[in-house]
Amino acid sequence: MSSGAEIVIERVRHLYKPPRGAPVLALDDVSIEVGKREFLALLGPSGCGKSTLLYLVGGFLPIEGGAIRVDGRPVTEPGPDRGIVFQNFSLFPWKSVKGNILYGLERIGLARAERESRAQALIDVVGLSGFENSYPSQLSGGMKQRAAIARTLAVDPEILLMDEPFGALDAQTRIIMQTELLDLWRRSPKTVIFVTHDVQEAVLLAERVAVMSARPGRIKALIDTKFDKNDEHLVKAKHDEIWTLVRDEAIAAQRGR
Amino acid sequence: MTALSSGAAVPLARALTLRRARDIALQWAAAVLLLAAWEGASRAHLVHPFLLPPLDEVVARLVEEVTSGLFFVNAGLTLYRAVTGFAIAALIGVPVGIFIARGGIAKWFFDPLVSIGLPMPKISFLPVFMLWFGLFDLSKIVMVAFASIFTIVAAAEAGTAGVDKFLAWSARSLGARPAEIFFQIMLPAALPHILTGLQVALPIALITAVASEILMGGTGLGGAMLQSGRYADSVGVFAGIIETAAVGMLAVTAMTRARRRLLAWHAESDRA
Repeated sequence: MSSGAEIVIERVRHLYKPPRGAPVLALDDVSIEVGKREFLALLGPSGCGKSTLLYLVGGFLPIEGGAIRVDGRPVTEPGPDRGIVFQNFSLFPWKSVKGNILYGLERIGLARAERESRAQALIDVVGLSGFENSYPSQLSGGMKQRAAIARTLAVDPEILLMDEPFGALDAQTRIIMQTELLDLWRRSPKTVIFVTHDVQEAVLLAERVAVMSARPGRIKALIDTKFDKNDEHLVKAKHDEIWTLVRDEAIAAQRGR
Repeated sequence: MTALSSGAAVPLARALTLRRARDIALQWAAAVLLLAAWEGASRAHLVHPFLLPPLDEVVARLVEEVTSGLFFVNAGLTLYRAVTGFAIAALIGVPVGIFIARGGIAKWFFDPLVSIGLPMPKISFLPVFMLWFGLFDLSKIVMVAFASIFTIVAAAEAGTAGVDKFLAWSARSLGARPAEIFFQIMLPAALPHILTGLQVALPIALITAVASEILMGGTGLGGAMLQSGRYADSVGVFAGIIETAAVGMLAVTAMTRARRRLLAWHAESDRA
């Protein structure tokens, strides 16, 4: 295997077992490598298993077939080296914005003053100054996701797993958040796996896009998207190229139901 | 409307105060109307004063029982039985409910018991508890605990089972250990449900305490009413009903206050 890869996903298979009914093959023979500080988008129609693949990398689901290695070590459980951001924020609703961000810092046993200053710095970075003591239920969707991203970044993970993080936001907020995420990533690059079903979002954010097929999920194509995103023609061309790939899968996914 | 369009804060605040005053007045109107109908009916001799004694006599008795301290003795006894039984039910019921929600053997063992117990008329166990625990406080406290525990177990189970798995996942990926996830994530996340269960169970506990006193004697609010009934003292019975209602309202209000404090973070607290 090439030495530059931080995440190695090798021939992963996964059966989804619904509470009732027959098991479904969600992922079939998926192999992909993600380089250090690479921004990879996992793109596919809903139900193609892209979130499942992300949860497997996160260590939230047991690996049934194949192998996933992070920094050479097989993944067995979640850990602070792999931070995750969910679509529905999953902030702790009984904790304030600051309390949420402090949670991970308390787990890794930092001194109080250090925790406080790191939390405050992150609150400033994501633009939530003045809302330190607000509860999640008092925030807008975009602010909630900022808080969730800050909470994940607090423990300084090397890898950022993002599960359709902007999927629950309105169109304007989504564009703003995309720009801010890119800024954040450029300032302190991390290895990112970004799950989305939005072609535009994938092209705009990622350096490489993995297009997944409808169920059972496979990697259908890997497309390089590392180019100047200010070049509208190039963005348009890439978008159209990927869209053609995704459209067939989206139609297949619709028929499959 | 004018207050709103003027944009000034003071008239808006005044309009809100007025609306609030109107709401409170309406709430009291229902109680006042009921009491007026009561007094009118007995004064006009529409009903025999033994069946429905005049309100002023009942009020006089209430004042007498409060000033003599008798009310506080009886209410204290009833509350002692109700709250002790309720506390036992909560201390056992909440952990059992959480335990069931985690699945496994506990679920198989307890689920049928809860399904049978929840709709069962618990008070029918009173003769059994009298046999086992005697005629004094213990049997009443056990009765109260037994009557209120099923609601608490069911609510704690539903609350814990309904916790969003992504909350636990978030905590795990931030480095939380299983015990930390349980106490720091699952418990607070299930708290709104658990408190709802306790809020439903508290009136049940009070009702059961009063009912067992009425059935077994032994003073307390229910015991006093039993006594009054035996002596054909209908004024005493009605005074007892009002006292019981007042104690119940106090307990429920205290519980609501406690909930608002504990769940200051919850979205429901914004709706004042």
